Amino acid sequence: MRTLGWVAGFALLAVLPFFLGSYHNDVYRKLLLWITLALGYNFLFGICGQVAFSHFAFYGIGAYSVVILLFQVGLPLPVAILLGVVICVALALAVAIPATRLEGFYLALVTLALAQLFIVVLNEGGNVTGGAGGIANYRLPPILGWRIAGPAYTVVIVALLAATLAVLWRLDHSWFGRACRAVRDNPEAAAAMGVDVARTKVIVFTLTSALAGIAGMVYAFVDNTVNPPIFGIDNAFLILFMVIVGGAGRHAGAAIGAILLFLAPFWLSPLVGHHHQLVFGVLMVAVILMQPKGLIGLWDRFSK
Amino acid sequence: MGPILEVNRLTKRFGGLTAVTGLDFELREGEILGLIGPNGAGKTTTFNIIAGAYAADEGEVRFAGESILGLPPHQIARRGIMRTFQHNRPFGGMPVLENVMVGAHTRFARNPFSRKAPVEERHQRQRAQELIEFVGLGGLHAADVGTLSFGQGRLLEIARALAGEPRVILFDEPAAGLTAAELDRLAGIIRGIAERGIAVLLIEHDMRFLLPLASRVVVLNFGARIAEGTPQEVRSQRAVMDAYLGDAAAL
Repeated sequence: MRTLGWVAGFALLAVLPFFLGSYHNDVYRKLLLWITLALGYNFLFGICGQVAFSHFAFYGIGAYSVVILLFQVGLPLPVAILLGVVICVALALAVAIPATRLEGFYLALVTLALAQLFIVVLNEGGNVTGGAGGIANYRLPPILGWRIAGPAYTVVIVALLAATLAVLWRLDHSWFGRACRAVRDNPEAAAAMGVDVARTKVIVFTLTSALAGIAGMVYAFVDNTVNPPIFGIDNAFLILFMVIVGGAGRHAGAAIGAILLFLAPFWLSPLVGHHHQLVFGVLMVAVILMQPKGLIGLWDRFSK
Repeated sequence: MGPILEVNRLTKRFGGLTAVTGLDFELREGEILGLIGPNGAGKTTTFNIIAGAYAADEGEVRFAGESILGLPPHQIARRGIMRTFQHNRPFGGMPVLENVMVGAHTRFARNPFSRKAPVEERHQRQRAQELIEFVGLGGLHAADVGTLSFGQGRLLEIARALAGEPRVILFDEPAAGLTAAELDRLAGIIRGIAERGIAVLLIEHDMRFLLPLASRVVVLNFGARIAEGTPQEVRSQRAVMDAYLGDAAAL
């Protein structure tokens, strides 16, 4: 019954783009991608308690990888996707293995450095990354002779969101998700219960980074252009805000935060122009002070 | 049958201070062994070495015949040695039942994506419920751990440790901070645990709590064993009286 509800919900999300124009399809696609990113980041930050700023960089790494492998190297699509995942996993392991074995803020610092370094590499990458202008004017190669475009591609993004949620949901509702929460709440007690704390952190960081990378690969064919400003560091903070405002540690919270903060500029811009950042900042402080469990915590309180 | 836990010639130094000196003792299944001594006698250091939190400088700790010295805490737990903390350390973001299920972490064999995983999850949930009843927290399975009293928090520590199906359970001063009524209940629970065939190592300061409960007692002073025997034997020994001088009334 519950499964049926989920299937119906996602079917509705998948049908919706066929009733939207191309502009609204574009907004809808990006909204779905932000929700996907926020869900992954929530697992890392909200459930496992790891503060990292590389989630959006991995989104960019996935996007750039698939574009470079397809159009600069000339690999077929399945190979490019697979290799893109391998690149994300390898990079995530390289960052996480040393960083999570250290205490405190090292993961935050190392991932902040990675996110900055990524932009530098993109700008300085010459012909490979296209430098400051990035790479543009490419198209998704046909899959089994079929060119997926328009609303059909939006369905691909709905499938990405559904798959990401399914993986994270299953993990969260298992011994693994409990171990992650235990690591977040009290690492020493978690270890005494048999949880390998360092290993858990590395697995979660690698998994969520790879999920962000896969979302990035899907994103690469939304705008059909990748360039350094798209993957700027401010987005790393935006994801963090989404999860905190919506309610860290809850899938629904992450989704609500992503929807709210992604759509807010559309409503706020006519009123306050670019000052919507300021509104975000105030909202953020208000949530932390008044409702640390986020908007989902507010919902819990009123639905009881 | 041999002892389940053996500590041989265990020595631990912190700089110039020798916290534990050539300590020997063994623990058998179903037995309640009390490790007592005045403050600074080396009880907690010994406890932390067994639990994997500290390395030792010399000696050996064997569990079921195998050396476990130097293993990290999570591997020691996986082998079947579970502990409670003196200062309760619940997982604050989870209700009582989920806290206990973290204790069962090493009992899960299934990949989370396996079709049988939900069956295993239900089975462990059932066990966790039973343990919550066993320690006397029945009805509180959905409670936020922040709402528990200190004494209830201690009982949660015990249920959580039992969820790991330990062969040895280590209690770090479980009586500390409990009321008289809570102490009675705690003694009953610890007896019940030993009756299940689990070996109990009890580090305790409170003699009035420990002596009626323990089957055997090892007395430490300045990191060395100064006496060993049944509570009656130990109670009458001169060295023990001296170690607790001024606190002799407690004996």
